Amino acid sequence: MTVCTRMRGHLGLALLLLLSAAVESNSMSPPGKPVLLGCRSPEKETFTCWWEPGSDGGLKTTHRLFYERERLEGKHECPDYRSAGRNSCFFDRDHTSIWVDYHLTVVASNELGNTTSDIFKMDVMEIVKPNTPENVTLLVMKREDNLYLHVRWEPPYNTDTKSGWVTIKYELRVKQEKSNEWKEYTSGTETHINLYNINPGTLYAVQVRCRLDHGSWSEWSNSTSVNTPDYPHNEKLFWILVSMLSAVPFITAMCILVMKRKNVKQYLLPPVPGPKIRGVDVQLLKRGRSEDVINALIINQSFPPMVAWKDQIEEYLIVSDDGLLLDPSSSQKRKKSLIIPAGFHLDLGIQCKEPTPVQRDLQKAEERKNEMDNFVKANTSLTEGNLSDMEPPQPPTQKQLFPIASFVKTTDQSPSKHNSAAENTVKPLANCGYVDIQRHENAKEVDVIEVDYSRVKEVSGDNILILQRGNIPGYMDIQRQKENIPEDYSRVKEVDGDNKVLLQRQNASTDSSCREKGNHYTDCTNQKLRNPHVTGPSKVGVCTELIGSGYVDTIPAPPLM
Amino acid sequence: MAHRRTSGSKLLMTVLYMVASCSAVPISDLLDRASQGSDKLHSLSTTLTQVLDSHFPPIGRVITPRPSTCHTSSLHTPNDKAQALQVSESDLLSLARSLLAAWVDPLVVLSATVNTLPHPAQSSISNKIQELQQHSKSLGDGLDIISGKMGPAAQAISTLPYRGGNDIGQDKISKLINFHFLMSCFRRDSHKIDIFLKVLRCRAAKMQPEMC
Repeated sequence: MTVCTRMRGHLGLALLLLLSAAVESNSMSPPGKPVLLGCRSPEKETFTCWWEPGSDGGLKTTHRLFYERERLEGKHECPDYRSAGRNSCFFDRDHTSIWVDYHLTVVASNELGNTTSDIFKMDVMEIVKPNTPENVTLLVMKREDNLYLHVRWEPPYNTDTKSGWVTIKYELRVKQEKSNEWKEYTSGTETHINLYNINPGTLYAVQVRCRLDHGSWSEWSNSTSVNTPDYPHNEKLFWILVSMLSAVPFITAMCILVMKRKNVKQYLLPPVPGPKIRGVDVQLLKRGRSEDVINALIINQSFPPMVAWKDQIEEYLIVSDDGLLLDPSSSQKRKKSLIIPAGFHLDLGIQCKEPTPVQRDLQKAEERKNEMDNFVKANTSLTEGNLSDMEPPQPPTQKQLFPIASFVKTTDQSPSKHNSAAENTVKPLANCGYVDIQRHENAKEVDVIEVDYSRVKEVSGDNILILQRGNIPGYMDIQRQKENIPEDYSRVKEVDGDNKVLLQRQNASTDSSCREKGNHYTDCTNQKLRNPHVTGPSKVGVCTELIGSGYVDTIPAPPLM
Repeated sequence: MAHRRTSGSKLLMTVLYMVASCSAVPISDLLDRASQGSDKLHSLSTTLTQVLDSHFPPIGRVITPRPSTCHTSSLHTPNDKAQALQVSESDLLSLARSLLAAWVDPLVVLSATVNTLPHPAQSSISNKIQELQQHSKSLGDGLDIISGKMGPAAQAISTLPYRGGNDIGQDKISKLINFHFLMSCFRRDSHKIDIFLKVLRCRAAKMQPEMC
């Protein structure tokens, strides 16, 4: 019994073994079909063909290449399987013929069978692709201050150039280091070329390729690079020359300075004059008797008389409305003179110039106004015609003083235009943050009554400050307190031109006060009311040549007008 | 334009005759000029075969005639560099002239039938055939002049008659296939002419290696 089971066990085992053997043998198969990839002849004297094997079917597979050739009987096998590497066939000179067709096949075989590839037909003249040119050298050359690149190379390896069997044509491409674009040039059959349009201080890379007759182009050769110099030679020479030439006058100047150093010293560092007080005797002081000194100091000091000062600046402030301009007679009236009310003392900020230049400028402005007189008449007609375009005060006055062809429309919202009008005579005076205009009467000393500050927006002309409209934050309180504009003050809306300050129209009360105050100013107030074209907040045009301030004291002009 | 070209080639001929009679132009320059012409001819035929290949019926690959049936295949030409370099100059020139002469008639047939060719680039092909004819004619005339300078051995020409008749097929497929076949034959022959002339040029200009 046990023997039977043992035998059955053996049988089972043997069956299993057979089965497994059978299974294994089923995975083996004849080889897959190989594929001929292509052939290549580098010099029209030899050629190589490559194939791709199919699956090997699990068994050791060999591949053989067979060919038939035109004008040659029979089927022949590849003469050389090794020289060109795996899965290749190399045909040497004895086996290579041109202008005849080859029919190639590859046969893969293993224990279980053979598989043949498709027929591959070729003629050597169609498969020509040369090797890359060799020894590409790149040189930077110079001829008459022109840089050029000289590129030289050698024919590809193993290619006959002596018999005319092949005609090699070359092509090269050049690239600057920073760009990605190649520029191509054909060289024909020459093995060198000069490239002339090159830049200094760049890295150039060059590649060369070739082809035989009308066959395929070879691969590009390895990139060869060279750096072009940065004109050091020329630049150095140039700067040496420049420095030498400039050194000569410099040295002569130094010599002169040294020789005349006394004069130079006097010029550059003038001696500070000692104090000289008129009427004061230095010797007296030295002697030191105090009473004498005090007397000398007090008596001899002469303060400038206020009257005289007043005389100097008897100038008139001209108040005008546009209506005033329409009336030619009224234009006559404005013999251009400026009135600065006696009570005014122009005291500018610390950084500003002295008042005297201001006065001088006022005088100048007066003269200018006289000159401009001529334009008034000419422009009155214009002003009439363009009244509609204008806001009351500014443009006509502008017209008067400046022969400007264009009218500037002035509104509350466009102070800039005033500035542009005034720009004709822009001369920066000084950068005063704040202008302090004080009012004092009777030629007294500076008596600060009210200090109103406005921020100067722009300084135009010698004597005009254009104030910024609106409240200065820091001084808001002060100005707020002055809600009720005092009678004598008008707020300057804008300053334009050399001699115009445009006042803002006050309330009716102020108007009446104005009216009361000055028969001279009747025109202005009348104008205000008469003028139908007044738009926006009512404005009063005041022609004055005054440093712009927050408030202008309208003082009646003397009857001179 | 053909008329202008023929008058142009006539002009070339007169110039060449004058030149030849003066014997002032060295033969290497004449060969250089001729090889430029053959280069152009081969380039044109290569382009034409590529154009035809682009629209070639797949079946054509199977039933296209073998190159051995080209009407010029009977002419025995060298088949590799070694053989070619052993051929004499006169023989090389004679071979070139024979091949060129053999294609005069087939090109006429091709230009006559190209209008019926069912190919998308048919007008371009027609233009190229015309150009081929003109270049072929001018090259042939030039080679005649050169052969005159090279002696009687160079004058011999083998005749290679074209027996393909006046048409290239009845149906669309055979027209395409025959046209393609003829052009491939011509491409091979134009390459032969080009190589022979370039070898001749190199040999004639021994003192000028740049000619090779």
